[in-house]
Amino acid sequence: MSIARSSDETGASPVVSATDVRRTYHLGEPVHALDGVSLSLPRGSFTAVMGPSGSGKSTLMNLLGALDTPDGGAVEIDGQSLTDLSESEQARLRGTKIGFVFQTFNLMPRLTAAENVTLPMVFHDTVDEGRRERARTLLERVGLGDRLDHDPSELSGGQRQRVAIARALANEPALLLADEPTGNLDTETGDEIMDLFHELNDAGRTILMVTHERQIAEHADRIVHLVDGKIDEIESVDGDGR
Amino acid sequence: MNLRESLRISWRSIRGHKLRSTLTTLGVIIGVASVITFMILGGAFTEDILGDVESENAPVMQVQTQTSPEAGTGIMIVDSPIYTESDVAAIEGMDDVEYVAPIGELPAVQLSNGTESVTGGFTTVATNGVRFADSDLYDLQAGETFSAADEAVVNNQTTQLFDANLSVGDEISLSFEDGSTKTFTVSGIVDEDITGQPVQPAVYTPLEPHYNTTIETPDGEQERAYPSLEVGATSLDTVDGVQENVLAYFENDADARQLKTDGDTIQVQTLDDVVDQVSGIIDQLTVFIGGIAAISLVVGSIGIANIMIVSVTERTREIGIMKAVGARKRDIVQLFLVESVILGAIGAVFGVLLGIGIGYLAVSMLDWPMIYPLDWIAIAVAVGVGVGVVSGFYPAWRAAKIDPIEALRRE
Repeated sequence: MSIARSSDETGASPVVSATDVRRTYHLGEPVHALDGVSLSLPRGSFTAVMGPSGSGKSTLMNLLGALDTPDGGAVEIDGQSLTDLSESEQARLRGTKIGFVFQTFNLMPRLTAAENVTLPMVFHDTVDEGRRERARTLLERVGLGDRLDHDPSELSGGQRQRVAIARALANEPALLLADEPTGNLDTETGDEIMDLFHELNDAGRTILMVTHERQIAEHADRIVHLVDGKIDEIESVDGDGR
Repeated sequence: MNLRESLRISWRSIRGHKLRSTLTTLGVIIGVASVITFMILGGAFTEDILGDVESENAPVMQVQTQTSPEAGTGIMIVDSPIYTESDVAAIEGMDDVEYVAPIGELPAVQLSNGTESVTGGFTTVATNGVRFADSDLYDLQAGETFSAADEAVVNNQTTQLFDANLSVGDEISLSFEDGSTKTFTVSGIVDEDITGQPVQPAVYTPLEPHYNTTIETPDGEQERAYPSLEVGATSLDTVDGVQENVLAYFENDADARQLKTDGDTIQVQTLDDVVDQVSGIIDQLTVFIGGIAAISLVVGSIGIANIMIVSVTERTREIGIMKAVGARKRDIVQLFLVESVILGAIGAVFGVLLGIGIGYLAVSMLDWPMIYPLDWIAIAVAVGVGVGVVSGFYPAWRAAKIDPIEALRRE
């Protein structure tokens, strides 16, 4: 755990900090999905989480993304503690502070690209006129300025993931959470997506990415290795993986 | 999230399943349409049989005795002769009374014209000639009222009893229970189709010398007495006043008050009262049938609930996505409720249109006047929307409860 502590010292005010977080599932017998994990994500950092399946990667992501609450320990997102939030405050926090990017893109199938991007703003009651304009800006930012009114079914996998990234950025989140963002893409498209993450990171975005591919993880500044619900090692990536 | 936004998203999902949405709304459409159709039919029926009466309203009232049967409910007309000549004379002397016609039934069993005879199925009434001469209510289609003892007035229905329809000047004969036979000349034909109710064939004869039922009055004298009276007022403006006077008379002074059996009541009903009574009965019947039709609305509502539950299950992943991007429980509830309300409202609107269409067709085939039951149209639309709310509530609540982590894990 000494390595974890050292990471605490890096950032002045971390975007997300998890302290001794525990999460146990009761599936017949208790399964300790996370067994005392402490991790902090400094502002502007790019962290990858690696580990074999069952190591607690997804659980960690769900907790840091405010989709789940810990059984023990504390999670703080942008200065706000997860523990004493009501369900609806938690949803609000998720909408405003977190941007999710999933392996399977998870776009709303019946909404256009632009509408998918506006969705987080819709739930956040952003003023109507601003939304469409912002969706256009974001889609242009990810290189899809000419695909605003396309349905997801009319887009390629890489394009869908770009729409998902634009959607994740809609409410200017403090943290971008990516779960195997290249898992459903071919290598070339995956690299393009990683380039996009780099650009966003260079522009100051804090990114946490879960992956099981070493090559993808090396795009990050550091790699957190999870084994059996514990942090096994935090490895700094010296060479630029890009 | 604001309402416009959820309308847009819900509408998108309804359009995404066109066939399913259509079939779902069909349940509500049929329910609403059948209610509206029955209400149009009921209203048109009332209008058809009472519309004429209302336009030909006459200042006429009927005096009758009613009793409540010992067993069961409802009212029965009592035909014991309790309205005496003195009562008739007293009412004739009141202000604004145009005429008083005693109605006395004669025990005739057979009606003959030449070689043709009809046994039963008709009534024979002894009354006075002014009933047909002075009343605004009865139109003499042909001839005039009787003026001699062997003349009679018949109604339309009677003329049709014989192969060669009766006409003025024809001879008819009546056979009575006691075996006697009397012959009359038809002096006039009266149209009695005013209340829209089926009219029995009737023969009207003068009181003298055919009606001889008497009763002992409270004064101890024998007087002729009748089972009912018809009173005509001078105009529609005076009819209510006359009705009050006649009622008061029967409550305080009349012979009939003392002659009637205890528990019986003397009714003085104007034509207006009759119209109200008839339309009241039809209204009840219409609401009853409409209520049965409304059962299909319940079925329609179950249909919406069913399809919404399927939809929630199918869209579990979408619900997970929405929650991941910040949707709160009530946003999800709102989305699904709006969707089911849209389905219900569309069903109601098309149901009303279809109901009016079918009602219009039926009414034109039956030759009834078309009516638009605005109150029921409003109720149907409200019920359609209500059905959407009620049947959408449980599915929406289920949707809101979905755990985003589970939902996103789904393939």
